[in-house]
Amino acid sequence: MIAETSKPALAVGCRWGGSQEDPMLLFPEGAMKVQGTGLAILELCDGQRTFLDIVEELHRRYFGSDAQRIREDAAKFLEQLHEKRIVDY
Amino acid sequence: MLANPLALIAEITHRCPLHCVYCSNPLELAAASSELKTEDWRCVFAEAAKMGILHLHLTGGEPLARTDLEELIASAHQARLYTNLITSGVGLSRERLARLVQAGLDHIQLSFQDSHPDRADWIAGTKSHAHKVELAGWIREHRIAFTANLVVHRQNLDDLEATLKFLETLRPDRIEIAHTQYYGWALENRAALMPTAAQLEKALAVVAAAEVRLKGSVRIDSVVPDYHAQFPKACMGGWGRRLMLINPAGQALPCHAAGVIPGLVFDNVKERSLQSIWNESAAFQKFRSESWMQEPCRTCERRTEDFGGCRCQAFLLAGDAAATDPVCSLSPRHDSVLRTVCQAPEDIVSPGSPAKSWKYRPNPGRG
Ligand code: SF4
Ligand code: SF4
Repeated sequence: MIAETSKPALAVGCRWGGSQEDPMLLFPEGAMKVQGTGLAILELCDGQRTFLDIVEELHRRYFGSDAQRIREDAAKFLEQLHEKRIVDY
Repeated sequence: MLANPLALIAEITHRCPLHCVYCSNPLELAAASSELKTEDWRCVFAEAAKMGILHLHLTGGEPLARTDLEELIASAHQARLYTNLITSGVGLSRERLARLVQAGLDHIQLSFQDSHPDRADWIAGTKSHAHKVELAGWIREHRIAFTANLVVHRQNLDDLEATLKFLETLRPDRIEIAHTQYYGWALENRAALMPTAAQLEKALAVVAAAEVRLKGSVRIDSVVPDYHAQFPKACMGGWGRRLMLINPAGQALPCHAAGVIPGLVFDNVKERSLQSIWNESAAFQKFRSESWMQEPCRTCERRTEDFGGCRCQAFLLAGDAAATDPVCSLSPRHDSVLRTVCQAPEDIVSPGSPAKSWKYRPNPGRG
């Protein structure tokens, strides 16, 4: 489980690639297309911001959306990537 | 429409200080003098990136045997390719490793043969184990991904549990357990390498337990050997569909073993652009559509998933590159494959008493 104080970042060996218009997340065994909210979340994962900061920032951007929902979706997304060793926290 | 490949495998040399009995390099190794020059590779990498290729796998032989490896990595990095170095680590100093990382290396895949130094050296035909262990420590001083790779076969499968525990101590991000693929030198040594069914069953359980134990810390990738599976794997993601391999001399192949299939002509990157080779080269076209398929593949539902299995294996085991891959349980030749599997003798040979059939992979000539 990701904690409010966790500071997620791309794991070692993961980086951005592809083109400006078509960013891809590259990692040892493959690549992943990331768009929309997923992209917004990952761009905030700089190892400085805490998970709480990220959720607040997302809430600010997607004004009017349900804060609880944002938190749950972001947590699920990051936990999945953590298991694949794409995101560390 | 034909999609461009996602990854490029660059076999930059066939030279290698090791002599692994499971090596999948072709029996006819490319001579050092025929190797592509630094500049040729630079063009290949730039073109690959332009085609949308994302990953570059630098392999061999032993890629470190190229003194221009730093430059090759730098040019791939400049082209924005994700670079992966597949290496035995032999001869890699702490300083050179730092230079490779500096040049833009993203991922290093270091091969291990066993957890016992003497057994490992026996399989590799060279003293190399102790150095690999030291190197693993140096790798962790850098921010690059680290995969520990283990090729398994009858001679080391019984130790799998201990070997995994040993690999864990090296703190890799990933552990890759690759069952020997029977091409090239491995095929020559098949009688001594083919695991028994009992070994495989046990190995599956060991891997499953390790996956649970290491969840979230080490990712385990394991490829089940297809001699024992019910259906073949989609070799290389299908012939000419996902990957492109360039051999040391610059020939473009749909897979590393494709050279065994008689009659295939491989275009050279020195003469044609990568894109036109991908689109039009006869060797890539040969098994791309479904028109070459025979029964039972031709009408089988799984043909869009596994594309009839591996063409090289079909040739090596059935004598016909267009046949259904004989490892498939639906293949009329499947029995002959099963016989090989069942005939795998129970004996485990040991470093003291080398198997009669052991055939170490030599080094290519200077040409
Ligand atoms: S001899 Fe061993 S290290 Fe060298 S290319 Fe073959 S498998 Fe790789
Ligand atoms: S018959 Fe051919 S297509 Fe069907 S599972 Fe076997 S190899 Fe694959």
